[in-house]
Amino acid sequence: MRVELTRPAAKYWAILRTQLQNSFAYPLDLLARSVTILLFLWVFVNLWRVTYGAMGSQRIAGLSLADTMWYLLMAEAVMLSKRDLSKDISDQVKDGSVAYLLNKPFNFILYHFAAGLGDSLLVFATNLLLGGALVWWLVGPPPGVLGWAAAVLAALLALLLDFCISALIGLAAFIAEEVSAFRWIYQKFLLVLGGLLIPLDFFPEWLQNVSRALPFAWIVYGPARLFVDPSAARLADVLLHQMGWLVGTGLAVALFYRWVVGQLTINGG
Amino acid sequence: MSAIQVRNLHKTFQTKRKAAGFGGSLRALWKPDLHPVEAVREISFQMEQGELLGFIGPNGAGKSTTIKILTGILHPTGGEASVLGFVPWQERQKLAYQIGTVFGQRPQLWYHLPAVDTFYLFGKIYEMEEKALRQRIGYLSEAFEIEHLLETPVRKLSLGQRMRCEVAASLLHKPRLLLLDEPSIGLDVVAKQRIRETIRRMNEEEGVGVLLTSHDAGDIEALCKRVIIINHGEIIYQDKVSALKRRYLTSKQVDVRYSNALEPDFAIPGVEMLKVGTFGAKLRFDVRETPVERVMAALASAGSLVDVTVSDPSLEEVIRTIYES
Repeated sequence: MRVELTRPAAKYWAILRTQLQNSFAYPLDLLARSVTILLFLWVFVNLWRVTYGAMGSQRIAGLSLADTMWYLLMAEAVMLSKRDLSKDISDQVKDGSVAYLLNKPFNFILYHFAAGLGDSLLVFATNLLLGGALVWWLVGPPPGVLGWAAAVLAALLALLLDFCISALIGLAAFIAEEVSAFRWIYQKFLLVLGGLLIPLDFFPEWLQNVSRALPFAWIVYGPARLFVDPSAARLADVLLHQMGWLVGTGLAVALFYRWVVGQLTINGG
Repeated sequence: MSAIQVRNLHKTFQTKRKAAGFGGSLRALWKPDLHPVEAVREISFQMEQGELLGFIGPNGAGKSTTIKILTGILHPTGGEASVLGFVPWQERQKLAYQIGTVFGQRPQLWYHLPAVDTFYLFGKIYEMEEKALRQRIGYLSEAFEIEHLLETPVRKLSLGQRMRCEVAASLLHKPRLLLLDEPSIGLDVVAKQRIRETIRRMNEEEGVGVLLTSHDAGDIEALCKRVIIINHGEIIYQDKVSALKRRYLTSKQVDVRYSNALEPDFAIPGVEMLKVGTFGAKLRFDVRETPVERVMAALASAGSLVDVTVSDPSLEEVIRTIYES
């Protein structure tokens, strides 16, 4: 009955595929999630048109209105497609369903990674497609192929980095149950210091330096800025920062998981 | 080899207490009032391979905590346990291939997808071959009578239908041991009966051992040969279900109907008359104090008998007696 040679990769691929099927179960919900990006981009383009007009300049901190809008498209696409893993884990601990995930022959963290990736990739692609069409119509054509390639690569690493930070917050639910305060703080860091609200280039230099020293910029700003300026130097800068943070947070997740799994209390017995 | 061996297993949780109101919340923030709760206290028991063992007790007795320790999800505070030769909390993933679990109050099937999608996903997770998986799904679908339900999204199934799919999903990988935590909770009588019959069939055909927790004594009565009763984290009784009944089954209840009218003051010495009607009566007596033949003779002499039903007390009553003693 059981295959002698185990195929661990196949099980995570199956989880990813099943999550994709699950996301397709409600196509209208999927579409509604992507409509959010259209709304945000519509507000942003009007806001930035006024700002550029008031400044009387074609460029602010080296970015044109078109650059800013394509930057915001990539930033919002990453932000809106990332799965709220910390909430997922916290909910599973609170309702006790974590019991089913811990007694299956897979790694709990990799399970969430596969399921999250299945969902995120679909929403990311839909967001890019719909949001891209709107931004093209509003401010002109997108950056070249190099920009797409560099940004998509960095966006994948960004989703992975976000996964690790969200996993750390989510795993805290094993001991604290409620982690919404930590989630809220993390989201606000992404919003301001991550460059989601405005590109970091518009910040004073000292704040840019602070932001670059933290992981949040490499989740939002890194891929978005690469999209409009895909130079080799910037690509190397973004990827190196992302990988550095990935090693650090990945190790932290592995160690933290080993500890908290022994501390778990499941509601309802 | 025993399927499960447990020795002096102990689990203590720290729970926070908080006084009512905003002030209480602030005080709890500043100085949390932590209290240890002993969910499981030094329990020891053994279960043989292929055995049907009932684990019963009221809500909060420690049944679910014990099952979660035995599956490796919770780490005990003290004691030892071995499940199919594995220490559950140290070898959780290896053990997972050998056991199936159902936590009655929580779904494991993907809610928005048809059950068959979860079955195929589980097949991959348990690293089963495609052909073997298809055969297994066919076999379990027939056994659990769920062929017509497999392609319906789980959210559209009734609770009874969903539970049949849940138990079938837990048996996909042919586990040697099935741990069922309240599998019949919320089910109606017919649905309960169907689940029980299929579990018994799986036990007979595949030799899968079943550890069943329930606060419905009917589950244990219908399925198990041996029973462990747990209360406040301690084992208060463990023996065969039949021995339990013999020891605590000391009273009989009799419902009797006559073709003629009974005397209004009809009574039998040493018997509690629960109800006396015109054409029938309901009574209860302790067999240690009043012999059965004396009661039956008195009933026969009271008139022309149409029907007699003699019943034992339900297991719920038996458990209540143990708790009270």
